[in-house]
Amino acid sequence: MSLPLEPAVRDDWHVLCRLADLAAHVPAGFRLLAHDVWATRDAKGAVSVRSADGRALPVTLAYGHVFTSLGAPARPLFAIDEVAEPDRRLATCGAVRVRASGLRLVENFLDMAHFPFVHTDILGVEERPEVPRYDTEIRWDVDEVWATNCRFWQPLAAASSRGGQMSEYRYRVASPFNVMLYKTAPPDPARFDVIGLSIRAAEPDLSFAYAFLLLLDDATPATTLIHFQQTIFLQDRIILENQRPRLLPLSPKAETPTRADMSSVAYRRWLKAKGVRFGVFEAAP
Amino acid sequence: MTLVLHDWELSADAYRARLLLGLLGLDYAKVPVDVIPGGETESPAFRKISPSGTLPVLVDGDVVLSEIAAILVHLAETRDVACTWLPCDRARRAACLQWLAFALGPLRASDAARDTAMFEHGGPWREPEVMAHRALRVLEGRLIRQALQGEPFLVEGGPTLADVAAFPAVALAVDWGETLTAFPKARLWTRTVRALPGFVTTPGVPEFL
Repeated sequence: MSLPLEPAVRDDWHVLCRLADLAAHVPAGFRLLAHDVWATRDAKGAVSVRSADGRALPVTLAYGHVFTSLGAPARPLFAIDEVAEPDRRLATCGAVRVRASGLRLVENFLDMAHFPFVHTDILGVEERPEVPRYDTEIRWDVDEVWATNCRFWQPLAAASSRGGQMSEYRYRVASPFNVMLYKTAPPDPARFDVIGLSIRAAEPDLSFAYAFLLLLDDATPATTLIHFQQTIFLQDRIILENQRPRLLPLSPKAETPTRADMSSVAYRRWLKAKGVRFGVFEAAP
Repeated sequence: MTLVLHDWELSADAYRARLLLGLLGLDYAKVPVDVIPGGETESPAFRKISPSGTLPVLVDGDVVLSEIAAILVHLAETRDVACTWLPCDRARRAACLQWLAFALGPLRASDAARDTAMFEHGGPWREPEVMAHRALRVLEGRLIRQALQGEPFLVEGGPTLADVAAFPAVALAVDWGETLTAFPKARLWTRTVRALPGFVTTPGVPEFL
């Protein structure tokens, strides 16, 4: 039996898999929002997605991935303008399975305070744990959450780093299960690398994380870039699997935020306002 | 002669090789292999150096090895002049080989449970978590008996290849949700291994176990 999905989640775009994971004419089954869906790719590369009851679902191919929706999306998939720049490289990192709510994964992605302790000597150093004040806003006109003016000292900000840098970040939550960050590109500090994280919420407490990179770095082999992100994500995975409850509480009193958690506070407030329930912890009344 | 390791950071077997290379203080060049998502281990080029597609691959001059047992033994035989890791003493060597085979046999169920938990690619194992728990109980029993003799490692007299091969399976068990609370001697042993000079970590090894 499937519970009815709330419109904010049902009518949103969700990542299903990497495009490269679909072999021609071989239907592949995926779990999405506690439903079974099937994806098929034809010889020309076109992808169709069907629900278990045979309904054709909307499909958008972007950023090396297949996105679909169980409902009727009111707007197109989030746009990342940088994808059109000719010197950008796309790398997809594959799926990592995590026993946690997809919302927890997005929230962890937004958090800078854990860098020195979870990604020690890569994204942070224990001697410089401070998260300088940054700005957050819920942009209701585009229905996104942004955190801007984020800065953090990073000894090895990317696979292409030659030394430490004060990284500047912008976080963008484009929808409840799709998040990306714009981060100072080590080869060209005036521009930004884009790192996207799209979550396939298989069950409320079981997620598959698909990361993709839109980078300016043209020298580092793609495998090295992918391994760098996989290393980072595996470090996060241990933390994520040990958070309790596995689902994300939205009540402001459930967990105690600090100033560094402003982006998380905004994200939770936004989820609540949108009526998101899938992956949300609801305390017994 | 430069050693080359065809490597994937997330592979437990590749970590076994990196761990021994670190403990031996050896320099080596890493060639990253796109196992997931790229499936590079299936490519004809990779199969030339690893006939069954296993990773890591160690290249030492003309010697190309793609089985982790062979890699560990080869490094010990050619680079460990002090005979620490593969003991020369016959009784200690026999015990080392016994526990090395255990670590790369039954205990590898823990690697399969981890691969299933992270990627849903558990390989041919059935119920790897059940098998891993059985193997962890065997390991715990061995470490208890060793502790009664005042021995902190799997083989009396110091650390050997057996400890190197077993460590990733135990320390990375947290990746499939096994936090070793029922295996106190195994926990203590992971701390002892971590304190060895030249120890290198990998993502997933808990800092506080």
